Amino acid sequence: MATEPKPNKVKTDLLRVEGVTKIFDGVIKAVDDVSLTVAQGEIFALLGGSGCGKSTLLRLLAGFEVPTKGRIFLAGQDITDLPPYQRPINMMFQSYALFPHLTVWQNIAFGLQRDHMPKAQIAERVESMLKLIQLTSFAQRKPHQLSGGQQQRVALARSLAKQPKLLLLDEPLGALDKKLREKTQVELVGIIEEVGVTCVLVTHDQEEAMTMASTIAVMHEGTILQTGTPDEVYERPNSRQVAEFIGDVNIFEGQIETYAADHVRIRSEVCVHYLMHGISGHVGLSVVVAVRPEKIVLSKKRPAGEVNWCVGEVVALVYFGDHTIYHIQLANAQVIKAQQMNRTTDLAEAITSGDRVYASWSGLALVVLVQ
Amino acid sequence: MEWSGLGSVGSISAFWSQLVVMINHFKKLLSGKSLLISLPYLWLILLVAIPLLIVLKISLSDMGPTSVTDVLSWSQGWPTIKINFSSYLFLASDQLYIDTYLSSIKYALLTTFICLVVGFPFAYFMARAPKYLQPMLLMLIMLPFWTSFLLRIYAWKTLLVSNGIINNALLSLGVINQPLAIMNNSFSLVLGMVYSYLPFMILPLYANLSKLDLRFLEAAADLGANAFKTFWLVTVPLSKAGIIAGSMLVFIPAVGEYVIPELLGGSDTLMIGRVLWDEFFANNDWPMASAVAVVMMLLILLPMSLLSSYQSEQAESKL
Repeated sequence: MATEPKPNKVKTDLLRVEGVTKIFDGVIKAVDDVSLTVAQGEIFALLGGSGCGKSTLLRLLAGFEVPTKGRIFLAGQDITDLPPYQRPINMMFQSYALFPHLTVWQNIAFGLQRDHMPKAQIAERVESMLKLIQLTSFAQRKPHQLSGGQQQRVALARSLAKQPKLLLLDEPLGALDKKLREKTQVELVGIIEEVGVTCVLVTHDQEEAMTMASTIAVMHEGTILQTGTPDEVYERPNSRQVAEFIGDVNIFEGQIETYAADHVRIRSEVCVHYLMHGISGHVGLSVVVAVRPEKIVLSKKRPAGEVNWCVGEVVALVYFGDHTIYHIQLANAQVIKAQQMNRTTDLAEAITSGDRVYASWSGLALVVLVQ
Repeated sequence: MEWSGLGSVGSISAFWSQLVVMINHFKKLLSGKSLLISLPYLWLILLVAIPLLIVLKISLSDMGPTSVTDVLSWSQGWPTIKINFSSYLFLASDQLYIDTYLSSIKYALLTTFICLVVGFPFAYFMARAPKYLQPMLLMLIMLPFWTSFLLRIYAWKTLLVSNGIINNALLSLGVINQPLAIMNNSFSLVLGMVYSYLPFMILPLYANLSKLDLRFLEAAADLGANAFKTFWLVTVPLSKAGIIAGSMLVFIPAVGEYVIPELLGGSDTLMIGRVLWDEFFANNDWPMASAVAVVMMLLILLPMSLLSSYQSEQAESKL
C-alpha cells in the first residue's frame, strides 16, 4: 500500500519559508517562527494534531492569511504580499469546496478561464485533466451527483488544471471512509507524481503522512518539532512529543548508568536498557527510552542476559487478525504495549490474558531522548 | 332460508368490521400530526380559496341594476349557468387597463430592481459582520415594522411635499430656489415602495448569504478570480435562491399595491390597485373590479409558479 517516495534527482528548493509567525487577534500565536524549505518535486507533509498551526501555515502559503512576521519565497520570488489569485499556487480544499452550481467540466475550467486562456486550449486542458482522473464521462455532472471519491478527484483536477508550481492539499483524504482512503491515497500519489508537481499537504493522520509524503514536518503548538523522511521521524524521533505523536511508543524514564563511545547503559525502574551505540550525554543524565510496540518480542521463557527485557502480566489483548497488541502490566504498574505478528494458527500456544510474559527487545531498537 | 340467514349474519358482521376499520381510519386522520397539518389548510380554504372562487364568480356575472346577478340560476327546476365574459373582453380591449397593468408591472419591477441593488450589499455585509453585531443589525431592519405602515407613508408625505421638510431645508440652505417636484409623481411612488419593501428583500438575502460557505470564495480566489469575478461567478449564483425569494416578496405585493400609489403617487402614476378601488367603490362595478383582480392575480401567479418550480428543482439537487 505504501508508495515509495521518489528520490529527488536534483534537489533545488522550490519553496522557502523564513521565520514566519502568524498571530491572531494580537494574542494567539498560531504559527511561531517557522522556517522550512521544500524541494522541487517533493511531497512535503505538515503533520500535527488539531490546533498545531498546520492549517494556518497552509493558508499562509495559499495567501488567505498574511504573516505577522517572516517571508515566503516561491522559486526565489518573494510572494508574501501577493494575493491568492496572483500566486502560482493552487489548493485542494478540505472537503473539496467544489462549486455546487457548476458542472465538473466548469469546475475544472474555472481557473483556466480566469487566466483568459483561449477556449480551444481550455477545452483541451480540461479533457486531459478529466482523462487523468478517469472521469471523462462525468464532465456534465454537478458535484452533488458524484461520490466522495469522485469529488476528491475532481477537486484534484481543478487544482492541477492551472499547472501550479506548488500544490497544497488540506487533509486530502479526510472526508473519505477508511476503505476508500487506501485506494484513493495510491491514486492521488500516482497522479501527483505523473504530473510531477511539488506538494505541501496538511494532515493529522500520521499514516496518511507516512505513506504519501517524502518529507514530514511534525508540528506542535505552532512550531516544527522535527523534519525528516517518514522513516527518520518514525525510527529516530528527536523528542518525546514526536515519538508519542507518531505511532505507538513505550516510554521508560531512567538515568544513564555507564557511558561509553560504543554503548550506553540506562537504568530505569523496571529494567536496564543497553544501547549498542553511543549517544551524546553523561553519566547520571535523566533520559527517556522509547521502544515501539512492534520491536518488542514476547516470550513465556526468560530471555538470556540481564538487559533489554522486563517481565509483566498480560492485562489486555487486542486482536487484529494478522497481529495482536498485548497490554502488559509491569512491576511498577506501568502498562506497555507489544505488537506480535500472529505467525501460527496454533491457538493453544498463543499468549493469553493473565499470562506472565517476558518482553524483550534488541539493543538497536531503542531510541534515547533527553527529557 | 338457513343459507341466506347465515349469509345475512355474515354480511352484517362484515359491515361492522368495515365500519370499525373506517372509524379507526378516520380517527387516525384526526390524530395529532394530520390535524396539525390540516388546520392551516382549513384556514386557507375558508379564507383564501372560497373568497377567490367568489371573486371569480362575480367576475363572470352581470351587473344588475342593484346587485350582481348570480352565475347559477334555477329555471323550472333545472340549474342554468350563465357566464358573462364581457368584463374580461372589456378589460382586454380598453387601452387604459392594459396601460395600467403594464405600468403596475413596470413600477413593481423597478422597485424590485432597486431593492435588490440596495439590499444585496446590505445583506452581504450584514452576513459578514461580526456575529455579535448581527442580531442588532437584523433588529434595525425590522424596526420600521414597529410603526404602522400607513403612518410611515404619511410621514414620507410630510417629508416630500412642496413645503415639506426636505424642500424647506434645501430652500433655506439656498441649494435650490424653488421647491423640487418630488411628491405625487413616479419618484415619490418608487421611493415609497422601495422604502416599504426593502426589508422583504434583505431578510431572505441575509438568510441565504449567511449560509454561504466562505471556502467557495477562497477556492475562487485560489483559482485566480479577483474580488469582482468571485462575487459575480460564485456569490451571486450561489445566492440565487435568496435573490429569487426576495424579488418575489417585493414584486408580488408591489404589483397590487394600493396605499403607496394612493398617498405618494400622482395622477400619472397608474397602478392597478387604484383602478381596482375605483371600480369597486366609485363605479360600483363589481364584475369589472373582480375581473381586474383575477387578471392581476394571474399576472402574479406566473412568476410565483416559476419560483416554486425553481425551488423544487433546487430541493431535488440538494444532497
